[in-house]
Formats: sequence, C-alpha cells, structure tokens
Amino acid sequence: MQLTIERSALLKSLGHIQSVVERRNTIPILSNVKLDARDGALGLNATDMDLEIAESVGSDIAKAGASTAPAHTLYDIVRKLPDGAQVELSLDGEGNHLVLRSGRSRFNLACLPVDEFPAMSAGSYTHSFSVSAADLRGMIDRTRFAISTEETRYYLNGIHLHATTSDGVPVLRAVATDGHRLARVEVPLPDGAAGMPGIIVPRKTVAELRKLIDETGMDVSVSLSDSKIRFAFDDCVMVSKLIDGTFPDYERVIPTDNDKVLEIDAATLGKAVDRVSAISAEKSRAVKMAVEKGQVTLSANSPDAGSAVEEIEASYDASPIEIGFNSRYLLDILGQVEGDAVRLVMADASAPTVIRDVADGSAIYVLMPMRV
Amino acid sequence: MARAPAPDAAADAVPPPRANPDLIGQAAAEAEVLRAWTGGRMSHAWLLTGPKGIGKATLAYRMARFVLSQPAPDEAGGTLFGAPPPPTDLAVPPSDPVFHRVQAGSHGDLRVIEPGFSDAKQAQRDLEAGRAPRRRGEIVVDDVRGLGQFLSLTPAEGGWRVVVIDAADQMNRNAANAVLKVLEEPPRRAILLLVAHNPARLPATIPSRCRRLPLRPLAPADITTLLGRLRPDLTESDRATLAGLARGSIGRALTLARTGGLEVYGELIDLLGQTPRMDVARCHALGDRVARDDDTWALFRDLLPGWLADMARLGATGRPPGDETPSGAAMARLSRAAPLDRWVAVWEKTIHLLGRTEAVHLDRKQAVLATLLLIERAAGRA
Repeated sequence: MQLTIERSALLKSLGHIQSVVERRNTIPILSNVKLDARDGALGLNATDMDLEIAESVGSDIAKAGASTAPAHTLYDIVRKLPDGAQVELSLDGEGNHLVLRSGRSRFNLACLPVDEFPAMSAGSYTHSFSVSAADLRGMIDRTRFAISTEETRYYLNGIHLHATTSDGVPVLRAVATDGHRLARVEVPLPDGAAGMPGIIVPRKTVAELRKLIDETGMDVSVSLSDSKIRFAFDDCVMVSKLIDGTFPDYERVIPTDNDKVLEIDAATLGKAVDRVSAISAEKSRAVKMAVEKGQVTLSANSPDAGSAVEEIEASYDASPIEIGFNSRYLLDILGQVEGDAVRLVMADASAPTVIRDVADGSAIYVLMPMRV
Repeated sequence: MARAPAPDAAADAVPPPRANPDLIGQAAAEAEVLRAWTGGRMSHAWLLTGPKGIGKATLAYRMARFVLSQPAPDEAGGTLFGAPPPPTDLAVPPSDPVFHRVQAGSHGDLRVIEPGFSDAKQAQRDLEAGRAPRRRGEIVVDDVRGLGQFLSLTPAEGGWRVVVIDAADQMNRNAANAVLKVLEEPPRRAILLLVAHNPARLPATIPSRCRRLPLRPLAPADITTLLGRLRPDLTESDRATLAGLARGSIGRALTLARTGGLEVYGELIDLLGQTPRMDVARCHALGDRVARDDDTWALFRDLLPGWLADMARLGATGRPPGDETPSGAAMARLSRAAPLDRWVAVWEKTIHLLGRTEAVHLDRKQAVLATLLLIERAAGRA
C-alpha cells in the first residue's frame, strides 16, 4: 500500500470514524481503523462491532493494499500536522508497520492484520429509500429523549421505525417510549419504503447518526433489512445492527377519546414549569396543574423546601381538572415544540395525556400523569 | 533429566483454545454436537464438563467457529444443485476468515465471558505492551453485563450469535444469576457454550437449563501424541512419565512440563526410593527449592499426595506394579512396608498439612520436611 492524500481530507474522515472507536479496548484490533487503498480512493473503516462507519476519500494511490492502524493515534498525528500538508502513507517491508510521512515528519505505527478486522457483512437489504436530512434530523430530535435506558426491556432502547398509514396517507413513522412517555413523529413515506419491516434502531446508532447528519445537508439514503440498517451520506456509510425484538403495540396507549382540551403558550408554560419545579422534591420533580376556565395554576409542594404557585393564562373550556406531571418529562416534551402554542388533551388525573404542537401535526407525545 | 526450556518459549508452542485448530480424543463429544446440528435440534445452551486441560474450551471455540461459519438460514435457501451436503465435522480451517476473527476476538457475533482484569489500568498497559494481563479468580457480574445487550442486537454477520463462558464455574452467584436470565429466555439463533471444570459448583438452576456434554479424560496414547507434537524437545521417557502423571489431561501434562514438574517428580521419587533412610541434605535442598518458588510449591502439593494416593490404591487393589520404573518400584516397596490403613492416614495427614500451610502461610520448607518425615516414619515402623 502506498498513497498520498491531502491532510484536511484525511482529517475530516478520521474525525467521523474515530468517534465509534472506544478509548479503552480489550480487543486490540477494535482500536484500529482499517485502511484500504484501491481504485483512486482510500477507504477508512472503524467499528465497535455493533456499528460501523466507513468513509472513502479520493487520494493518489501508487500501490493498492490494505492494513489497520491505531485510530486515535493516527487521528492525533494528522490533527497536529500543518494545514495544507500532503500525507504519504505506506507499509514497511513486512507490512508490520504503517509509515506516515509528511514534510519532514515521519511516523511508524504498529499494524494488525486486516483479516482480524471485524466484518459487518452487508448481507442483502430488502428496502432502500432516500430521506431528506432535515426530515431525518426532525424524526430523531423529537423522539430520542423518550428512548428508555432500562436494560430489561431492551426492545425500548431505540427508535422504532416503520411504514404505516395515518388518516389514509402513507407515512414513515418513528416512535420511542420508556413506559412513562412516548413520542411519535411521522414524515410522508419516501419512495421504496412501502412494506419495510418494522425495525428498532439502537440508541448508540441514533447518537452517531445524529452527529453525521449535522455535517450534511443532502438527502440520506437508507437501506435496511430485518437485521441491519445502512445510512449513506456523501462519502460516508454507516451500518448498524438493530435491536432484535418486537416493539410493543404503542397505538394502544395513545388515547383517542380524551375530551379536555387545553391550549397554552408553550414557552410560557415551559418557563413556569421550570420555575415551580425548583421547589419540588428532588427525585419525583412533580408539578401539579390545576386547570380551570381560562387559567392554569401550577404548584409544587415539598415538605422540606416549602411551596410554589404560578398562574398562567390559557384557553380551556371543559370542566376543571387537577393533574400532576413529572416536570422533567413535561419540559422534555415542551422543548420539542417549535410553534407558539401547545395543546394538552386530557381525560382525568390518572389517564395518559396527549400533547401536540398546535402548529405541527406530525408529532404527537403521550405523557403519563403522576399522582400528586 | 532435561530441564524444561524457558516458560515463555514453551507457552508459545501451545496455542490458546481460541487459536487451536486441533482437537484430539473428543470425537464422541464432537459427533454428538454434529448430530444435534444436522438433526436441527441444536440446543441453545451446552454445558461442557470434564477435568481441566482436556479440551473443553478448545471444543467450545471449535463449535463457535463451526456455527459462525454456517450460512445464515435465509441465504442457505434453494441452490441450483440442491442443498449442499450436511457438514461431516466441526473443523473450520485456520485459513478461514472466521477463524482469524475468532482468534483475534473480533468476530461481531461471538462474545467471550472470562474473568475480568484484576486491575484495569495495569491491564491496559499490559495490552499495549503485548503482555497477557492478570485476571481475577472469578467472573463477577460486571464481566457478564454486556451479554444482555449483545444478545438484544441482531447478528452482525447475519447468522448465529455465540457466547462462550470460560469457565462457568468461576462465576460468582450474581454473575450466575445474570446469565440465568439469558438461559431462561434465549433469543432465537443464539447459542451459549458454558465450559465447566467443576459443574457441581454451579447453582443447580444453570445445569438444569443446559444440555450436558461430558468430555472424557484423554487416553495416555493421545497425551503422548500431543506431547510429541507440542513439546518435541522432550525425550521419549519424559513424555511417557508426563503421560502417566497427566491423569488424562494434556493441559496438566503441559503445565508439569513447563514448570519443571519432571525434575521435582524425579527428585521426589529418588527420595522416596531411599526410604526408610532419606538423604537429609537432599530433603533440605528440596525443601529450600519448594519454599523459594510458587510453581514448585504447587507441584509438590500436587505430586506428593497424588503419588501417595496411587500407592494406597496399589495396596488396596493388590495390583502388581506393572512398570519397572523407579516410581513403580518405590511404590511397590513402600506399600509392602506398612499396612494400608497407615498409608491412608499418612495421605490424609499430608493433604491436611499441605493445605493448612497454603491457607495460613506456614513455612513451606518445614511442611516439606514434615511430610517426608511422616512417610519415612511410616515406612520405618514396620
């Protein structure tokens, strides 16, 4: 292997892929990045055995070949090279060392054999479609806060993606829940996604994907099967395992016949909840809402700290109701509302409440009240 | 007697189970696994039992490689010339990519659970320097934690997922309970391979959820063959002695060879052959050696009671000493020198004394001298 590559291009790619490489690894090869030089491009590949990021950078290849080298060390070196430098990569005689030359610097890095590098076999993807970066970002941002961290219900530790219809319109839907709250976001169904299997994308993949989306403004092409998902950006491809489980029938927990409709300014409510919750007990963070005609009274009580009350104007016509929420959960949801007003549709103090952005019908949140 | 070469050189000659392509003398167990696989009745959990050093972990990795190199069920569908013939053995050639990745620990569908490192920071330094880090004596719940997450994700290469627990009887109670959860509700297309030297130490709930695969100790001929392959530097007679001492375990034979067991054994037999008048200076010399070195101490604790037990067994069964080795001769002479009950008492006392010495750090040299004296006295009193 022998090639020359521009420092900034190499740095950008290494920056993307080194984030999946864990700092402490008991398996030596997992600390390494796979370098594969052929056909005028250098392929870089890193994995933690659950997800894999591969990137290809155009470079001047004198001799094709492949090897693996320590990812963080390589990234550190390239980061410290001067801007605009040319980097020359080659293997020494036995292929045990990667030699990096740039200007008057020369580095020798220990390599490990390529055939030890984990394979994330692509297999065959059954469905492929392309979705705009903005849509994908919206689906992730508005659902990821609700992903569960509880290990026993592992099938909740991710975002459930599936194709369905909403009011007769085909949609691609993302759902996440931890049993206390649920977030459901939909976008119009992209071409090719019809009939796709319902899958669960793991939390870590969601986080890595989110970082990559920020750097691209283009469409993301998604391919998936029932055991793998692949996201392709400009030059970057991410392949991940999925959660091997069945997402619960979430439709059942979204109430449809709640009748007490409260409309209120999202920002005002958010700030008030934040203030009042300062007083509530450390762990539960409960806030009580007393809703009556035209007004909501927020209150919190703590036997040690004292009490807090705040009144807010609101539009409400149904019979008065008192209902309690976990303030952190409520704030999480209010944080996703982009329009001015939020609509809370309640039934009673012990039944799930539906929360929606008045200006945006694509997202729906369900929050379980607390007994206060 | 030839001195064993430096331990590192010997250890290099013996591949660890994950890198060992050969398995000898366990054809029956392999056949049972293969029958289960081809019959479509592959159990989700196998408990591989048998003494240490007979190839349980080697078989576990062999099963793992075999299962991992089988095509994913949906890919295996119809082919032009009908279904491929069913596999006839578990071997995966070392040139296979699966073999490389299993050896490197980097196969995405294999998870190995072993005792964790006793010191994480030191372990990181050791790994960077290419040394094998020290491990704890037991598997704790932290070592098992990643298992649930591993099995909750889809396979990386599309086929099966395999977990090797080496060794299952090193799991403490919490770790065993964590594994039990997985054993109770195994995900589809996942196989757990539990290696256990001492299955009786496992909580009863674990063996009851596994298919037992007992491995037999190796035949002496197999041990001799393996020694010839792995330690060609040893002489013919050394190999025969080791095969006799190995009790069917190649691991034990190799440990004995590596830690200088032949030499200690030879010295011990020489001394025992001199009873009832042992050379006091040599007894002290042996005591000094044993006191200095942990390996030699372990050898002495193992070899002397073992030899006494063999001798008592000889006295009880009246089986004539078949071999004309110095050990056989000494055994025959001593077993005639005193009644059986006295030798059994000596054996018990020896075990007790050596055990206490280890447990409360008594003077090892004194323990060696005391046990030798005990034997001398028993033999002399007749």
